[in-house]
Amino acid sequence: MTNDCITILVVDDENVPRMLRCLILQKQGYKIVAADSGKRALQLLAEGGIDLVLSDQMMPSMTGTELTRAIKAIRPAMPVILISGVNEIPADANCADRFISKVGGPDLLFETVGEVLAAYGHTL
Amino acid sequence: MNDHDLANILMVDDQPGKLMSYEAILGTLGENLIKARSAREALDHLLRNDIAVVLMDVSMPEIDGFELAEMMRQHPRFQKTAIIFISAVHLTDVDRIKGYRSGAVDYISVPVIPELLRAKVSVFAELHRKNRQLERLNSELEKRVEERTAQLRENEDLLRERADLLELATEAIIVRDMNGSILYWNSGAEALYGWRREEILGKPVHEVLQTRFPAEFNAIQAELHQTGQWEGNLTQITCDGHEVVVACRKALKADGNAILEINRDITAQLKTEEALRKTERLAAMGRVAGIIAHEINNPLEAITNTFYLLRDHPSLDDEARYYAKLGEEELLRVAHITRQTLGFYRESRHPVPISISGLLDEILELQMRRMEFSNITLEKHYRNTGTIQGFPVELKQVFLNLIGNAAQAMPEGGTLRLHVFESQGRRSRTGAVCISICDTGTGIAPDNAKHLFEPFFTTKSTKGTGLGLWISKGIVQKYGGSIRFRSLSRAGRNVTCFQVTLPDVDLQKIKEPAFASMTVPAEDMAGDSDDQ
Repeated sequence: MTNDCITILVVDDENVPRMLRCLILQKQGYKIVAADSGKRALQLLAEGGIDLVLSDQMMPSMTGTELTRAIKAIRPAMPVILISGVNEIPADANCADRFISKVGGPDLLFETVGEVLAAYGHTL
Repeated sequence: MNDHDLANILMVDDQPGKLMSYEAILGTLGENLIKARSAREALDHLLRNDIAVVLMDVSMPEIDGFELAEMMRQHPRFQKTAIIFISAVHLTDVDRIKGYRSGAVDYISVPVIPELLRAKVSVFAELHRKNRQLERLNSELEKRVEERTAQLRENEDLLRERADLLELATEAIIVRDMNGSILYWNSGAEALYGWRREEILGKPVHEVLQTRFPAEFNAIQAELHQTGQWEGNLTQITCDGHEVVVACRKALKADGNAILEINRDITAQLKTEEALRKTERLAAMGRVAGIIAHEINNPLEAITNTFYLLRDHPSLDDEARYYAKLGEEELLRVAHITRQTLGFYRESRHPVPISISGLLDEILELQMRRMEFSNITLEKHYRNTGTIQGFPVELKQVFLNLIGNAAQAMPEGGTLRLHVFESQGRRSRTGAVCISICDTGTGIAPDNAKHLFEPFFTTKSTKGTGLGLWISKGIVQKYGGSIRFRSLSRAGRNVTCFQVTLPDVDLQKIKEPAFASMTVPAEDMAGDSDDQ
């Protein structure tokens, strides 16, 4: 695995799901930074060192797509993947690079992360 | 006798004495006596008054009696005016004849016998009066006839206008007698039921139309006779065997010997309402599914991730790892079912490569239990995967309809055959994927065949919306493809085949999903390829 040079920012307001998502990605070798809100994510992003953002869609103060637009406004080249447990895709879902279902399982998540990183020129 | 009925008697003589004696003789008649001293004066009176009889002296200076009579006869108004000549000089046969030729009606010789003169004048006055009365009556009669004719013409116009208006109505307007025989059948009825007026007049309406009433016929008749009207929906059969539902209003004619029926076709309306109810139900189900999805999918992800971490955790011994493996496998089943039912139902925005055979297998998996239950044997002949560019939800909708219909056509069991093969189009560059779905079910009646792709057409009276094939055809056509079917019956066995041809067209041509707002539960969005 050569993922250890990649840092992923995982955003989710729910602690347990966020922690588990962080753990499985860590197991794949990624470095992980976690945030419990969009606001906190933007702060961490400003500090630098993030290669990809993986955010939940349904969050109370700032939704995944709102966060995505905020990120893309200041860092257009920052890849963003949204993950959702709801069965409806928001109308503006395409502001993110990918929008995936939580029930796709770990394999779908790893595959998507890999594809998006490759699209942004990160060679693994 | 009132003034109006007085006859004007004109007496013409150049000698005032004679005029006075005539006046004395005729005074007792009580008529209106007018005196003229000359023919000119006489003409003046004639023009101004309606004269009943002219009493004139034959010999007068300037214009004599015969000349005056001649002048009168030339005027149409005086042609029939009675003239009595009085003559003392020309008392010869020749003169008499001359007098009559000029149109005189009588002749009195001098000396005048008063009784005779009175009698003659009186007869003419009476005759004139009678003529006048007759004329008045005649003109009155004519006027009344004219008025009545105008009235009749007006009524006729009104009736014709009303009849034309009845013909304009799109409702079927039917009048029948108390035995049910049709007396009137407008063009709205012709259009609705397909029966021409001349074919159906005189026939029993409810027998011909095979009417099914919402209540006992006797109860309807009773209400009609009690209140004079009845309203309700009737189910009837048209000339070409179609079932229609009509909103019917019946009214009993005042004299109680005819019934007016106004029927409006509400078949399509009912079907639309039914389809709408189903759509609303689907939308409500979608909302519920959305809430459930959120509550189930979130913990499900967490548990799945937990088992992923547990899978080869170094602290576990073989037994614990075996249990974790069992748990993970069971969890996969839950994840699979949620993906099918609570996964994304909105379509992705861009067409993606779709394996038709993979798509068919997914659908078959959903239908498997029903097919096993109905004792249906499945034969798959996939010559290749049949990959085309498209939107998975739409194509899934097409084949779910076709496979679902095929399965429903075989409640007593049968064989479902699926073929997938790629064919080369006439233009060398483009290929196409052909999919055929054949069943050995109940078959398609020739009458139904031509309506198969019409919206709201269904043979599953309560179970179907009648939209499935219509929507499917719309989707297939959007892909530039075709959908055809054949239903054969040989030796008591039916084979019905639907064949869908989907060309592998240019990606750019399909930019938008055909029915973007369709809320059909379906698989995850593009990119989810974990179970292929």
